[in-house]
Amino acid sequence: MAMTAVEKILAQACGSDRVRPGEIIVPDPEVIVIHDALVLPAKRELDSLGIDRLYDPDRVVVVTDHEVLYTSRRAAEIGATVREAVRDWKIENFYDVGAGGHGHIFLAERGIILPGMFVFDNDRHCTNHGSVGAFAMRAGGEITRVLATGTLWTKVPSTIRMTLHGTLRPGVFARDVGFKMACGLKAGGSYGVDIDYRVLELAGPGLDQFGWDGRVALTSSPTEVRAIGVFIPPSEEMLRQIRAVATRPFEPVFSDPDAEFEAELEMDLDDIEPQIALTGGAGNGVGISQLEGKPINHAFIGSCGSGKWQDLEIAANVLKGNHIAPGVRLFIVPGSEDSNKRLRKEGLLDVFYDAGALMLPPGCGPCNAGNMGPVHTGEVSISTAATNLLGVMGDKGCELLLASPATVAVSAIEGRVTDPRSNDAVLRFSEATRR
Amino acid sequence: MSGFEWRLRGRAYTLGHDVPHPGVVIPQWLIAGRYLEPDELIPHLFEEIDPGFHKRAKPGDIIVAGRNFGMGPKMNGYVAMQALGLGLVSESMPFLGYRAAVGCGLRVLTDCPGVTEEAENGDDLEIDFITGDFINHTRGVTLQFPPVPEALREIIVLGGNKGWLKNWWHTNQHGTPSAR
Repeated sequence: MAMTAVEKILAQACGSDRVRPGEIIVPDPEVIVIHDALVLPAKRELDSLGIDRLYDPDRVVVVTDHEVLYTSRRAAEIGATVREAVRDWKIENFYDVGAGGHGHIFLAERGIILPGMFVFDNDRHCTNHGSVGAFAMRAGGEITRVLATGTLWTKVPSTIRMTLHGTLRPGVFARDVGFKMACGLKAGGSYGVDIDYRVLELAGPGLDQFGWDGRVALTSSPTEVRAIGVFIPPSEEMLRQIRAVATRPFEPVFSDPDAEFEAELEMDLDDIEPQIALTGGAGNGVGISQLEGKPINHAFIGSCGSGKWQDLEIAANVLKGNHIAPGVRLFIVPGSEDSNKRLRKEGLLDVFYDAGALMLPPGCGPCNAGNMGPVHTGEVSISTAATNLLGVMGDKGCELLLASPATVAVSAIEGRVTDPRSNDAVLRFSEATRR
Repeated sequence: MSGFEWRLRGRAYTLGHDVPHPGVVIPQWLIAGRYLEPDELIPHLFEEIDPGFHKRAKPGDIIVAGRNFGMGPKMNGYVAMQALGLGLVSESMPFLGYRAAVGCGLRVLTDCPGVTEEAENGDDLEIDFITGDFINHTRGVTLQFPPVPEALREIIVLGGNKGWLKNWWHTNQHGTPSAR
């Protein structure tokens, strides 16, 4: 029987020949990821039940990304509990402060999460791993059951396929496409589908223009409108890059040619203009022309949605030889320690500092509830954050706009929302990276 | 599983479609503050649309909700419903919300299309969560909906995830875990 890629990954994880959408299953993950923020409640819960060891500590990876730079005593306490838990649970795969970076970014960059793999992760943005053809599922607070027993019951999601056609115009990037997708997929959106708990699989000739960095960016915004996964079949070029870093053998998984999809959608990339997602959701995208000139106070480039090398590279290209506008603060948050190291090596840290930007350590940055670099009431923020729900980076009086790294960097220089197509460095970057 | 009451009989408490968890089911500040103890949550269940609900609710009462109930993965309200001995029947709910409700040990049926048309506030309802029988005694109507899947019954009987894990640990800690 024909299956989609995610159905095949889940069937493998269940040791079955096939699974069907809607079926309740108990799949075995190859990797279990828990992020710093949830270790404290998970440790307390398991301790209260007397559970003092994990099912298989070698499968568990603990990452520190939500609060890397402790900005409160509470954060330091959480950090101490993370180290205590790692010791008590005998976990070897522990990435402490400054060791790995953003778990949704560096675990694939270092070849720990690989194509065809099934993963449980407490955090919903684990959908990022679809960018390498893996399938990671959010476990939320029930990560305790995964830690203790190695698995959790779940439901096989159905898959919606979206075929991409055309080529992005210079100055338009993968995040812009993601906002556009989320806008069409959300409840009441133009595609007229229900994306809640569905996997979005991308396909078509338009996919080839996106490298690893672009593929990560594409996975972000559909998650915000409740997709449980965004699956991107790995290209030959992707597989070559992944093999170079893989920590173990892997087998990529693809949908059967006659697999059944709940819906088949199309998207034309030719006519997309740079997007701004308005406060309240990544699915609130509008063309940038509607907001051009709006003054901004706060800017941030990073998060799991824009945490790859190319996101930093384009920002550096734009900022080189320029300075951010008076009254604007700009935070740069690399996705991984490896990218941070490369910034130092290639001299790009100087570019950011000379432009007046502030560097924050790799991880979630301000996107995690504004614990670092928050926004004040009445201020306008423009960022590449994954989420811009009302009040997420400050109180409800803040305006939180989302855009591509190019748009954020150009806007930080101008001090107002600015179309990146007006910037020569952006256009040159688009030309140079055209695939 | 003997002794567990899978059949509830009580009054209907009806809600419409797209009822959000934060604000309507339970105030946002309890969700943001990660309050999960029943005593902390019970006084605030449905507080913003129906103050005093918790005082009038009786064990066995059934919440009858429309499409997309809860609208997300939050669990705080389900903790309060379970502790009050209520049942929940909905036309649909997001899967992650359904998993949270089961994880709280709540007797819950979902994918019951049109159920909000079959009951009014205060109707005398009887639901069997194992057979899926839905009886409205006030109207003299009997309907059939999908029951609680077999694979999930043990979690509900044991009072939710914590109870299930506790039981699993006591059963399995001396050997290789079998039933996971």
